[in-house]
Amino acid sequence: MALARVEGLTFSYPGAAPALRDVSLELAPGERVALLGPSGSGKSTLLRALAGLVPHFHGGRFEGRVEVEGLDTRTTRPAELAGVVAIVFQDPEDQVVLTRVANEVAFGLENLSVVPEAIWPRAEAALAAVGSAHLHGRLTAELSGGELQRVCLACALALRPRLLLLDEPTSQLDPPGAERFLAELEGLDAAVVLSEQRTERALAFADRVLYVEEGLLLLDAPQPEAIRWLEQHRPRYADQALEAPPASPGSTVLEVRRVAYAYGGGPRVLEAATLEVARGQVVALEGPNGSGKTTLAKVAAGLLEPAAGTVRRSGRAGYLSQDPGRYLVRERVLDEVAFGVGGDRGRAEAALEAFGLGWAAERHPRDLSSGERERLGLAAVAVAEPDLLVLDEPTRGVDPDRKAALADWLFAYAADGRGVLVATHDRGFPAHRRLSLAREEALVAV
Amino acid sequence: MRLSPAPAALVLAAVGATALLARNVTSLAILAAALLVLCLRAPARSRALYLFGAISTGLSVFLLSPFLWVGGGSVLWSGPILPVLGPLDVTTEELAIAARNGLRLSALGLAFSAYALLLDHDRLVAAVPFARRSALAVALATRLVPSLERDARGLAEAVRGRGVVLSGVRGNARLVSPLVAGSLERASNLAEAMEARGFGRPGGTRAPRPAWTSLDRVALGAASALVVAGALWL
Repeated sequence: MALARVEGLTFSYPGAAPALRDVSLELAPGERVALLGPSGSGKSTLLRALAGLVPHFHGGRFEGRVEVEGLDTRTTRPAELAGVVAIVFQDPEDQVVLTRVANEVAFGLENLSVVPEAIWPRAEAALAAVGSAHLHGRLTAELSGGELQRVCLACALALRPRLLLLDEPTSQLDPPGAERFLAELEGLDAAVVLSEQRTERALAFADRVLYVEEGLLLLDAPQPEAIRWLEQHRPRYADQALEAPPASPGSTVLEVRRVAYAYGGGPRVLEAATLEVARGQVVALEGPNGSGKTTLAKVAAGLLEPAAGTVRRSGRAGYLSQDPGRYLVRERVLDEVAFGVGGDRGRAEAALEAFGLGWAAERHPRDLSSGERERLGLAAVAVAEPDLLVLDEPTRGVDPDRKAALADWLFAYAADGRGVLVATHDRGFPAHRRLSLAREEALVAV
Repeated sequence: MRLSPAPAALVLAAVGATALLARNVTSLAILAAALLVLCLRAPARSRALYLFGAISTGLSVFLLSPFLWVGGGSVLWSGPILPVLGPLDVTTEELAIAARNGLRLSALGLAFSAYALLLDHDRLVAAVPFARRSALAVALATRLVPSLERDARGLAEAVRGRGVVLSGVRGNARLVSPLVAGSLERASNLAEAMEARGFGRPGGTRAPRPAWTSLDRVALGAASALVVAGALWL
């Protein structure tokens, strides 16, 4: 008997085009399913439909039927499905309710009316299952993104769900962290649906693959067959390897020498970091979670003053933060981009066209999809054509096609005589030079 | 040995109530100083905003109220007579009242700061025997301050990263609207995550928590006595 059944599901968010169109599928107990597709294709909506959050939480037009363990999601509220289904969202900071890790894991169990004596043992067991037993008493606000994401997984596992839904759960993790995260799912009894943009991980994990595009389920096949289909029809999803074009480095645009930095009198997060970026060059700055990549990127862009060492820039720097879609300041897309160039609408329109957002000029930035908002963030920084462009995790949650397009754009930008520094976990993102930042050592070329 | 969160919250509420009832400036100064010392136990980075808010509001009241309230005969300084406001004299009595009100406000702000910075809000929520959803809403609202601060820092950085310099009150005021919009979005995401974890189901249980200690009971007794003292003698 199927654990979950989706029949002819068509769903539109209020006032929008259908996010899912006539989707039908069945999930069997214990299955490992990879859910692939471009940003905005309907993957998250499908996961939310399986959790009952669509339509209950979001509203909208819902046609068809979704059943999980025989419960119709139209007549069963998401809170009542909790325990049968558990979902982990992309951004852990937006799902944490309580201040201490153990209490956070216990929260769902208390809601599910688990007998009090069983709550702490189950919470401890779930934390241990994701290798985070040592975090038990810590404040959630003090955890790194990776630690917090594992705690979110523990919160889901503690409920002992039959169906576990994961919406890009590794997008904030460094490669070893992401591999550990997926390894922790191996021994689970539950069926797992994993939505991922780092497709090689998802394909290695899954025994069945779904591919969604523009709301349509284009592929539902066992993993080997799916890989063949992807190689033929969506090659970037089968092989994400990208190559950097030859570089012709010019003069130095950024020189960082033996820089140190500490936040508010705390321990130093950077120690004797040294790097150089030349015009015409794209440099990737790698390192595990918490190694100081973001800090070094901000120091390079002039947003932080180092406690020691020197930073020399030739020309202006622009900085694109992690999750730029969250930091939009104007109420119209065109104004958002024009904000960085003193209201110059002509330049703003040209930048929007360059990033494929010309059609959205009059829209409110928060009405755009997350992928579109990230592109808008980049357009808002790039419009001023800074000599040095610093980007922090620009490929987080970005689909393979858009990642390739971003790489092309950055190489073209650098080829115009500017420098680009990309802080990233993504080892597949191409660069002319790669530097690795470890916690206790200076930068080393890799 | 430390107080349990619920008695600690009640003690802080009692100290706040005492600050409102007390009339003696020295008593109020001692209360405010004690609360300040308590708040200094919080990490420097997280306490800065709270302390600034609590102290600056009290200081503003102390500095402005002598000019806005007219009373007393011991004139220390004679200023001009302004329309609407009247004479801008400063008297000893006005200064005493300004100091009292300023210290009251600061003490209240510091009591809230200690509550927000030092207490385990999870256990507070768990300790509330009724209206658990409302208690959780209060705890989440308390946590809003640090997340707003983090978002404000991110917004300011994003703007500077575009080469735009926002200065002065007017410049920074442009960030208020996106900050509010961002907070609403964050709140909506959190609400969705909570519902997915069963929040709102009827019933619900509580994980076992440590019982109150004798220190908790003694502290509550002392806090009650402090309120009475504040009303009668301080």
